[in-house]
This record gives sequence, C-alpha cells and structure tokens, in this order.
Amino acid sequence: MQVVSNETSSEEKEIEVSGGADALLDVAPSKNESDDTLQIYEIGYHIAPAVKEEDLEKIVGALRAVIEKEGGSFITEGAPSLTKLAYSISVREGERNVDYDRAYFGWIKFEGRRAIVRALTESLKQNPNYMRFIIWKTVREDTRARMKAPTLREVKRTDTIKSSVRRAPSEESTAPVSEADLEKAIQEITEE
Amino acid sequence: MSSNILTQNDIQFVDYKDVDLLRQFMNPHGRIVSRKKTGLTAKQQRGVEAAIKRARFMGLLPYIQK
Repeated sequence: MQVVSNETSSEEKEIEVSGGADALLDVAPSKNESDDTLQIYEIGYHIAPAVKEEDLEKIVGALRAVIEKEGGSFITEGAPSLTKLAYSISVREGERNVDYDRAYFGWIKFEGRRAIVRALTESLKQNPNYMRFIIWKTVREDTRARMKAPTLREVKRTDTIKSSVRRAPSEESTAPVSEADLEKAIQEITEE
Repeated sequence: MSSNILTQNDIQFVDYKDVDLLRQFMNPHGRIVSRKKTGLTAKQQRGVEAAIKRARFMGLLPYIQK
C-alpha cells in the first residue's frame, strides 16, 4: 500500500502526480502483469461538502468519462452520499485550510488497463472538488458483506420519555360561575 | 473448526466500506486487534488489516479513538 500525498516515492514514480487531493494507490503490478493486462480496480473518493448536491452528477460524470476514454468498462458503482467522517480532513481552499467533518463519499468498480490509474490520478488531483481518493486492485465479485455485523451495544429503548400532552384548558372550566348557580349547587350538596 | 466471524458468514473478501464489520476487529481505542484475539487465519487477518487501513485513510474509521 502506498500513500501518495505531495512527496515522491521510488516505487511508483510513473503514477506520481504532485499537488491536489491526497491519494492512496494500492495498484502495484503483480509478477505476470504487463501494461496491457486487464485488471479490476476500484476507486473511492470524497467530494467536498461545499459542492452543491445538483453538481455531484456532473463531477462524477467527468470521472466516468476518464475511465471510458481509456477503454475501461464499469462493473458496479456507489453514488456519492453525504457521509460523516471519523476525523476532520483539512483541505486547501485558495489561500486557507478548511476542515471538513463530512464529505460526499462514492465509489466505482471498473475493469481496465494500468494507464487508467495514471489518467484518473492526474484528473482527480487537478480537480479541487475532490478531497481524497483511493485506487486499489480488487476482484470482480461483490466484496460487500451480506451479513449485518452485530453492534457493540444493542440498547433497547424502553425508557423513552414521552412528552405528555398538555390539555388546553376547556372553556367550561374557565367560564365564570354565576352566584345563583353556585348557591344552587351548594344547596344540593347540603340536602344530601 | 474455525469460529471466526468471516468463516461463519462465508466472507471471502473484506471491503473497506463495511465499517461495521471492520469495527469487530478493532478495540475501543481504534487499534487493530491481534490475530490471537480475532481468531482469524493469517490470510484473513492480512485482508482485514488492509481494509482497516484503507478505511482509516478514507476517514471512514478513526486512526485513534479517545
């Protein structure tokens, strides 16, 4: 696994592109792999939350166009959705750093040649809307677990406090009681 | 007979997006639990480790938890 931020590494200089969003590239070629070998890759990306929701499709469309241009074919895709991050990510916007604690997270699984990785890395690093991305080698099968992982604490909410409904004071009780009615009611009680 | 979560549920590949599953292999501080405690095979443990590290980089899981 290799983290490519702004510094260069000796192993995969061909994919190095300085500046822009932080990237994690886990695409080291295997022994028998040449540049023309078709390989399954997955790209996961975070788009800055400052981007409007209606513009997301356009931004991801540009990403898809890069893959198609390089002869890649799509396998599965996860549309970007606003996700809360485990820690805030700092992004350089103009002359200042902005910390974001949420981002639009999406992913695309595709098949293609090695050249796609370079094209994608260049494209995403130049686009300021992308905060961070990861490209890694994967398998064609669906890797998402079908089981529901047990949560650490299963809390049954039996002690929820329901807000009591406050009754509006009825008109009957607030209406002033006349002297005659009151005397009549007292007399009824005393007679008993 | 292995009795780890991955074998029981027939999970061949661990995905970095399955955050709830990956949390099973982390302690409350956010550290990766050792193979001794997870009961995973060496191959499974390597897969889980790689997935956790990818998820951490992408901000889906924390590096440390206070």
